[in-house]
Amino acid sequence: MIINLLISSFITIFIAELGDKTQLATLTLSGTSKKPLAVFLGSASALILASLVGVLAGGSISTFIPEIYLKLIASLTFLIIGSRLIFDYLNK
Amino acid sequence: MDKDDKNIEKGFLSIFLTSFTTIFIAELGDKTQLATLMLSAESGEPLIVFLGSSFALLCSSIVGVLIGKWISTKISKEKFALFTGILMTLVSAWIGYTIFNIDS
Repeated sequence: MIINLLISSFITIFIAELGDKTQLATLTLSGTSKKPLAVFLGSASALILASLVGVLAGGSISTFIPEIYLKLIASLTFLIIGSRLIFDYLNK
Repeated sequence: MDKDDKNIEKGFLSIFLTSFTTIFIAELGDKTQLATLMLSAESGEPLIVFLGSSFALLCSSIVGVLIGKWISTKISKEKFALFTGILMTLVSAWIGYTIFNIDS
């Protein structure tokens, strides 16, 4: 029963995460820096913390902060990183 | 060339913090977190769900790091930065688009 739940949690989350924007960010960070271990440790601890928040809150963080703000912050973060990468390319 | 190296040769801690912040922000309120939440509420076994989902996130993060490293050996670093930059801008636009469709 516990093993079943462990495996089904693993499969659900692993599949949900493949090709997600989080993985795109990890991929970018890893490809543009020379320290993949630092990228891995940073993103892994962020993911574990986010998952801990998800489990503990019993309601996601969107219960406290409206989803629209979370999405806005995520959108801006991606815009900043993306445009900085393009800007660096054009500027070199 | 000097400037380029300075951009890339950042310290371990700085890269760690950048990765942590970016991923944490991207993950809050994401569908993965909602799935973790639902699994945890449905089963009443939050610890098991936490272990399973943490391990899955670790694996997907390793996959992301390895794919990034692999691609960066195939194409030049500049092209890689440009492509991922464009891709991230598109993701940003897509998230922005969904903001206006939350209510509908």
